[in-house]
Amino acid sequence: MVERRRSGRWRLWAVAAAISLATLILVARLAQLQLVDHEQYDAQARLTQVSQETLSSRRGALLDRNGYPLAASEDTYNVMVERRAWDDPAAASRAATAISAVTAVPPEEMLAIVSETDVFEVPVALSLNYEQATQVRELGLNGVRLLQGSRRVYPEGNIAAQLLGFVGRDNVGLTGLEADIEQILGGAKGSVTYERDGLGNQIALGDRQEVPAQPGADVVLTIDRYIQRLAERELEKAIEEHGATGGSIIVVQVKTGEILAMASRPAFNLTQLDLSDETKLALFRNRAITDQYEPGSVFKLVTAGAALDLGLVGPETLWYDTGVVNISEWSIFNWDYSANGYQTVTDILSKSLNTGAAWLAEQLGPDRFYEYVARFGFGETSGIGLSGEVTGQVRTPENDPANWRPVDMATNSFGQGITATPLQMAMALATIANDGLAMQPHIVREVISATGHQVIEPEPLGQVLSPETAHILQQMMGVVVDRIPTYLLDVQGYRVGGKTGTASIVTANGGYKDEAYISSFAGIAPLEDPVLAILVKLDEPKGVPWGTVVAAPAFGNIMQAVLAYMKVPPQEPALVSDTQ
Amino acid sequence: MATAPNSEEALAPSELLRSPSLPLLLTAAALAIGLAALLPLVQSSSATFINGNIQRLEQEKGDWQARLREIELEVAGLSSLNRIEQEARDRLGMVPPEEIRYITVPGPAPEAWRPPSRFLPAPTEQQESGSSLWDKAFGWVPLP
Repeated sequence: MVERRRSGRWRLWAVAAAISLATLILVARLAQLQLVDHEQYDAQARLTQVSQETLSSRRGALLDRNGYPLAASEDTYNVMVERRAWDDPAAASRAATAISAVTAVPPEEMLAIVSETDVFEVPVALSLNYEQATQVRELGLNGVRLLQGSRRVYPEGNIAAQLLGFVGRDNVGLTGLEADIEQILGGAKGSVTYERDGLGNQIALGDRQEVPAQPGADVVLTIDRYIQRLAERELEKAIEEHGATGGSIIVVQVKTGEILAMASRPAFNLTQLDLSDETKLALFRNRAITDQYEPGSVFKLVTAGAALDLGLVGPETLWYDTGVVNISEWSIFNWDYSANGYQTVTDILSKSLNTGAAWLAEQLGPDRFYEYVARFGFGETSGIGLSGEVTGQVRTPENDPANWRPVDMATNSFGQGITATPLQMAMALATIANDGLAMQPHIVREVISATGHQVIEPEPLGQVLSPETAHILQQMMGVVVDRIPTYLLDVQGYRVGGKTGTASIVTANGGYKDEAYISSFAGIAPLEDPVLAILVKLDEPKGVPWGTVVAAPAFGNIMQAVLAYMKVPPQEPALVSDTQ
Repeated sequence: MATAPNSEEALAPSELLRSPSLPLLLTAAALAIGLAALLPLVQSSSATFINGNIQRLEQEKGDWQARLREIELEVAGLSSLNRIEQEARDRLGMVPPEEIRYITVPGPAPEAWRPPSRFLPAPTEQQESGSSLWDKAFGWVPLP
C-alpha cells in the first residue's frame, strides 16, 4: 500500500516538474521575445503596420522685379498602384484600361510594371496634370492612389537660362540660381507616419504623426523680363550679324547696383532641357561671371579715372604722342600705329590711344595704379552671390613679384595682360556712372516667405572716385560717343557716354590668338544724370572687329528702348524746332 | 410596551432575493453597464466620422490649392511677353515698328505754311501802342 502511494507521488512530481519546466521554457521564450529581442520584433511589426511618407514641399518661384514668374512649380501627380490590389488579372486589366483612358499610358505597360515589381506600391503613370489627376481619382479604383509632386515650368519661355538654372528630378536645384539659393527656394520636406491596415490603407483611429512640409519662399529678382528679353534678342542679332562665337550683355541700374539683365550666349534651352549630351555641359555656365577676358580699351576708363582723381591730369592736359612707348625691350603702339602729336587726355579716350593710356599709368606709378584697379573691384569676386564667379587676374608687383614687369602696367593700362569678368567691367562702369560710388551688385531683390518679406536694400561699397572726377569722366565718355557716327550709335533724345574696346584673346599657352578679338562697348545714359550702365561684349566677330562697329549698335538699341521703357524723360530739346 | 421591528432589519437575505425590487435593480445595473459599454463605441464612431471628414476636407483643400496654383500659372502664361507678342502678331496683325531715323538739321526751321493772302481776312487797322499823349510823356518811366 505504502509502495503504491510512493510510486504515485513520484509520478505526480514528475508531471509537476514537466509542467513547471514547460512553463519555464515558455516564460523564457516570452522573455526573449518581449525583452531581449524586443526592438527587432518591434521594428518588424512597425514595418508592416506603420507607413511613412515624405511630404514634398512646394518649391518657391523665381519672379522678375515686377512679380512676373520666370520659373515656377506646377503640381503633378503620379498614379501609384498597390501590387496586391492587381493580383486578379481581370480586375487589373479593367483598372489599367480605365487609367489608360486618362493618362494615355498603354494598359499593357502598366500591367507589366506592376507584375514585375516586388515592392508594395509602384508608379504606373507619371506627371499627370490636375485635370487628369481628378479624372483618375473619380474612377475610385481600389489600390490606386495619387502621389503629388511638382515640376518646374517657365511661363516666360527660355529667358535668362544660365542665370535661373534648373532643377533635377528630385526637385533640387542643380545649376544657376536654382542651386545657389536652394535653401530659400526648396523649403523643408515634411513627413507623415501612420498605422495601416492589411490593404495598406490608413487606419482612421490609428497612431498618426505628421511633420508638415514648409513651402519654399518666392524670390523676386532684380531682373526685368522685358529688358532681359531685349538684351538676349539684341545679343543674338549681333552675334548672327557679325558671325561671333558668343557674347554677353549686362544692364545695371547704377544707383542701386541692381542687375536688370544678364544675358550670355551660347546658351541652352531651359524649356527643352537635354542632359544626355555631356558636350553641352559648357552651355550651363553663366559666362557673364564665370568667363574672364582681357577687356581692352574699355579699361582705359579706369586708368584715366585714377589719373584724374589724383589730380595728375585734367581732361584738357596736353601730352605729345610719338606713336610709340618704349619700356625695357618692349614697344607699345597705338591700335592703328598712328603718331598724333599733341593730344589731350580726352583724346586718349576718344581716339583710344594705347600710348596715351601707358603715359597715364606712368604718371600714376604701379602702387597707385593697382590701388585704383583694386578699388574698382578687379581681382576679386563681386559678391553678387552667384556660384562659379571668378576673380579675374590682376598681376601686381606685390602678388607676383617674380614675374611682374613695368611693361605689364603699361599693357594693363589699356586692358591687355589683365583679365576681368563682364560683370566686373559692368560694375566698374556703373561706379563711374554713379558719381564714383561703387554699389554692391545684386540679383535678388526680395524674399517672400510664409513668415514675411525680406527686402535686400542697395548697399554702397565705397567711394572709388570723387563725384567731381566721375562727372568729368562721364563728360569725356560723352565726347567719345559724340565722335562715333550716328549710323552706328544714336540714342534719340538722350546724351550718352561710352567707351569702345577691341581686345586680343589670350590663349592657354599665354600668347594671343591670331586675327581673333573680343569687341565690346561700355556705355551710360543719360549723361546729365546716369540711370543705366550697359556692357555689350561679343566674342570673335568675323570681319571688322572694332567695338564701335560690332557692339555699339546693340548698345544703342538696348539703351534707346530701355530708357523709354523706364520712363526716363529725354534730356535733349525737341528734335524738330517749333515752326514760326 | 412592545414595538414593531424595522422591516428592513427584519428581512432575511433569502427574503431579499425574493424582493420585487431586485429584478429592477439588476435591469438598471445591466442597462447602466450596457450604456457604459456603448459610450466608447459611440465616441469611437463619432471620432471616426469626424476624422474621415477632416481627411476629406483636407483633401478638398489640397485640391483647391492645386487648382489655384494651376490657375496662377495659367495667368502667368497668358501674361507672358511671348504670348502677348504672338497675340499682337496673329490676332491683331501688328508688326514691329520700322526704324525711323530723325536727323537734327542745324539752322532755322522752315517758315510755317501759310494760306495765300486772298484767303486770309483783311488786316484791321490797329492803334499803335504808346501813341497816346500819356505814353509819350511818361513812356520813359519803368512802370510795372
